Amino acid sequence: MTASQRLSRPSRIAMWVGLGLGLAFVVVFGVVPTLANVVVSFTDYSGVSGIPASFIGVTNYTTLFTTQRPALLSSVLDTVYFVVGVTVVQNAVAMLFAHRLRKDSRHATLLRILVFAPLVLGVTVVGIVWLLFFEPASGPGSAIFGAFGVHSAFFGSNATAMPLLIAAQVWYDVGFTTVIFIGGLNAIPREIYEAASLDGVTTWRRFTAITWPLMAPVVSVTILLTVITSSTTFNLIYILTDGQFGTNTLGILAFNTAFGSSTGDLGQGAAVSTVLLVLTVLVAVPLAGLLQYRERRLLG
Amino acid sequence: MTSNDMVLRNPRRMSRLAGGVLIGLLFAVPLLYILMISLETAGQYTAHPLAPPASPSVKNFSDAWTQADLGRQLINTIIYATVSAALSVGLSLLIAFPIARKLIRGASWLHRVFVIGICVPLPVIPLFIEANDLHLYDNRIGYILLHIEPGLPLGVILLTAFLTTVPKELDEAAFMDGCSYLRYLFSIVVPLAWPSIIIAFLYSFLAVWNNIIGPIVFLANPDLFPVTRGVYNFYGTNTTAYTLLAAAIVIVSIPVLVLFLLSQRQLLRASISGVSR
Repeated sequence: MTASQRLSRPSRIAMWVGLGLGLAFVVVFGVVPTLANVVVSFTDYSGVSGIPASFIGVTNYTTLFTTQRPALLSSVLDTVYFVVGVTVVQNAVAMLFAHRLRKDSRHATLLRILVFAPLVLGVTVVGIVWLLFFEPASGPGSAIFGAFGVHSAFFGSNATAMPLLIAAQVWYDVGFTTVIFIGGLNAIPREIYEAASLDGVTTWRRFTAITWPLMAPVVSVTILLTVITSSTTFNLIYILTDGQFGTNTLGILAFNTAFGSSTGDLGQGAAVSTVLLVLTVLVAVPLAGLLQYRERRLLG
Repeated sequence: MTSNDMVLRNPRRMSRLAGGVLIGLLFAVPLLYILMISLETAGQYTAHPLAPPASPSVKNFSDAWTQADLGRQLINTIIYATVSAALSVGLSLLIAFPIARKLIRGASWLHRVFVIGICVPLPVIPLFIEANDLHLYDNRIGYILLHIEPGLPLGVILLTAFLTTVPKELDEAAFMDGCSYLRYLFSIVVPLAWPSIIIAFLYSFLAVWNNIIGPIVFLANPDLFPVTRGVYNFYGTNTTAYTLLAAAIVIVSIPVLVLFLLSQRQLLRASISGVSR
């Protein structure tokens, strides 16, 4: 007897209808589009409705790997730059923030609210805040850099757009990683630190010998999440540079190929998006294995 | 010895204080700057871009409100975010209960699908084609239906985690008394699960509220635009009217900031404790 047979007949029907309705949404708006992305990449779907689409085999991929090859390669490099930059900076900064904000004091609570605020304000507001802050002629960010003799068009310059974009993405998203790290830090038993402080261990040694290894499982999760998020999301890039000035990651390239012009090329865009998906999986799966290996070594 | 002396003499506390001030400035200064220029006239901004306004004025707010049509867009956003988040949480509960109670075969397998779902972003290109084919493109109902699914993975995981803490005897007692399944879920479980429901609701609500790619891909009629696209378009058409733009983003930020300040305790605590699972 399965568990559901304990329910009355009408209740069982209600349960299945409810579950079916929920799963229908998951299938129609989650599973189908995820799988359909590959299918679309073999078609010549345009962005204009009413034009019938047909299957054109691997044409989109041949275009991508022949005539579009230089653009694709430079986009892959931009993506690697962005993903590595965001992953390293965001996790390092979040670890520092989490140490400062882990206690439940009033200051720490206020700072947590501030650090989390960009996520609440959303990418559109955050993007415009950064654009105004680094407005080359009048923004305070430009004035601060100007005081050190650095003059630039900031988000409009090949040299500075990517580092600033990474900074903006971290500023936007670091609250999330910080909050996860605070949870991880507070889960480490106090007794371990108390024993260490009796032995007169330095702060740095306490971090490397206790916190870092015990945080390994949490760090694995946040690293994987930041790699996946930063490689696939492009909404902040869309607002800040729209892929110009050396920030043309595969995510924004796929989006602009599909929707950037009035005609649009959904098939070609889906091919770029599929390449991104394959690359993300090729990086994320070995990375997950590596992180698990590291956990086992650190935790014995 | 005053407390100030204690802080200054203790290097550990000193560095904690410095760190706290630095973090505070890093996040508060850009936001305060926007607030500052939103109170300036265009002339003041051009003449002294970094100085606070000599005579603050709120004229930008009324100008931005009418010029960017913010009233209509705020109503659109509130409808989209509230309705899709509410439906998303309701469906999450309908999925989570059979999983948590193992009423179906493969419950733990299904649970894992939702865990994966949290990490996998939705590809927007096939969704656009689907939206066109299902007549969900450029209309309110379609826009809402398209924004329900993204909230389900987190909702299902939060609610499943909560439901496993509710004793099974409670369901059995209720069903024995002839309580129907849906009445049990929505009049007994919902009040118990309220904290988890609020968190799931807030996360979906914020995701819909802040979505910018969605309104660009799925909407064409300006009457249907939410604030994100409205403000983004306002930026595109008024690239030099920075003080008006600042006022516009202050206006659209107020509702979410108030909501966040009211719920920050639960929201941050839930996220902090969520990692242990």
